[in-house]
Amino acid sequence: MNDAVLSFSHIRQEFPAPGGGTGIRVIDGIDLDVGNGKFVAVIGPSGCGKSTLLQMAAGLLAPTGGIVRHRGRAINAVNREVGFVPQQAQLFPWKTLAENIELPLLLRGVATAERRERVASALEAVGLSGFEQYFPNQLSGGMQKRGSIARTLVYRPDVILMDEPFGALDAQTRMVMQDDLQMLSHDAGATILFVTHDITEAVLLADNVAVMSQRPSKLLANIAIDLARPRNVFEPFKNPGFEAAYDAVWTIFRSQIGIRERTH
Amino acid sequence: MNDVATMAEPPGADGTSPARRRRSLAGKAGRGLVKLVPGLAILAFWQWASGRLIREIYVSKPTAVAARLYELFASGEIYPHLWTTGQELVLGYVIGVAGGILGGYALGRSPRLANIFEPYVMAFYGIPKIALAPLFIIWFGIGIGSKVALAAIMVFFLVFYNVYTGVCSVDRELINLTLVMGANQRQLTYHVYFPAAAPYVLLGMRMAVPYAVIGVIVGEFTSSVQGLGLFIHEASSTYDPAGVFAGIVILLAFVVAANFLAGRLERRLLRWKTPMAHAPSDI
Repeated sequence: MNDAVLSFSHIRQEFPAPGGGTGIRVIDGIDLDVGNGKFVAVIGPSGCGKSTLLQMAAGLLAPTGGIVRHRGRAINAVNREVGFVPQQAQLFPWKTLAENIELPLLLRGVATAERRERVASALEAVGLSGFEQYFPNQLSGGMQKRGSIARTLVYRPDVILMDEPFGALDAQTRMVMQDDLQMLSHDAGATILFVTHDITEAVLLADNVAVMSQRPSKLLANIAIDLARPRNVFEPFKNPGFEAAYDAVWTIFRSQIGIRERTH
Repeated sequence: MNDVATMAEPPGADGTSPARRRRSLAGKAGRGLVKLVPGLAILAFWQWASGRLIREIYVSKPTAVAARLYELFASGEIYPHLWTTGQELVLGYVIGVAGGILGGYALGRSPRLANIFEPYVMAFYGIPKIALAPLFIIWFGIGIGSKVALAAIMVFFLVFYNVYTGVCSVDRELINLTLVMGANQRQLTYHVYFPAAAPYVLLGMRMAVPYAVIGVIVGEFTSSVQGLGLFIHEASSTYDPAGVFAGIVILLAFVVAANFLAGRLERRLLRWKTPMAHAPSDI
């Protein structure tokens, strides 16, 4: 075994076609390792099964073939050692912000005093102190997203799975959140598997960018991004070496989009 | 919706000034008065038309109904009827709601159970429950049992369908997230399914109140020894429209009161659905 925290080996996934018939092969043999404390971004054309990989890592979906391991242990039930940040914030609308963030701790049987302390520090980390008693529908989209991230950070999961977490945000909010995430993940020393369709985002945030092909998808490349940290997410082009890194990803990614255009 | 600006300026707890609150109180009272106008107009017209446009023996009149109501309560004649009907209503309602919640929740959580039982429930739902009244009298006797059964079965279906829909509509992603956070089935029920289904449950409970009344009154009309339904039935068969209306007013008062209570409960439990006046999302 290698020292990867999360390892996908020979993953295949088929989904039954609507109304029977032969299934649709979405993933066709993917091998991917996520090293300890690494930030790995997965990009690929839409429908290529990026999110499916996260579902597997969380133990919410069993692959048709292959195996997903978390610290060497095969995942065959819901994986409670990970944190999941979905595309929509998905805060519980019937709980206040503080109650939302407290929930994972409550579910894990953390004592009251410690819960209060950790909720407060998680809220402070994402800049939401003072909004404890608000309900999610009283918060802006960006604030809800921060809440969602705080709810994941608060129980210090071994790996954080993020499924296009900033896809639904406006451009400015998104940059601020990317900057915050960079800082938070660095401070927490977190291992992150991050799905996105945005090359700039992937290059700016990740240590490694995995590029997936279109359906049935394979791993086209796993590109190391050696830009110095902290990176400037507001002016991507000002990061020394950004252009070359972006180009390396784009050269591979472009072929996938090109093929799509030809077939349609 | 600028996130940064919102961060910089956390608003006050609810953002309403005392002056604004006073104004909204006055507005509330005004709206309440406006609501009374159509009702008062109908009563006035009724009073005026009775004996002028329509013979009083057919429609009675508000003052006569009020007098009759006073007499019924003063003499204590109505209390045994009220007691019986009240018992039937409460029992029928509680049994129906409890059954509806249990059944709806079980079928909502288990697709396998739903697959088997849903068609049956649907078929029984289609039966006009009123047609069952004579049968229930035979099965449960002419005492309160038959009325409780009739009210309960009418309430059951309404609550059942609401709860079932509510439980089925819980976002799958939210459930998965909660599982990853570390929830077991019991915690999932308490933290996700119950609150998510609550709006549906409460709606069903509110809608079921008049149905409980219909069930009980139909049962009493069919055959009974005591109760408001019987009272109304007897009044109408002895050409006593004031008595009929007096009975109806009592039922009306019950439904309005129950509705008010249900509304209060709903607002309290669903606090999260009605945001306060000035939330950050407005900025």
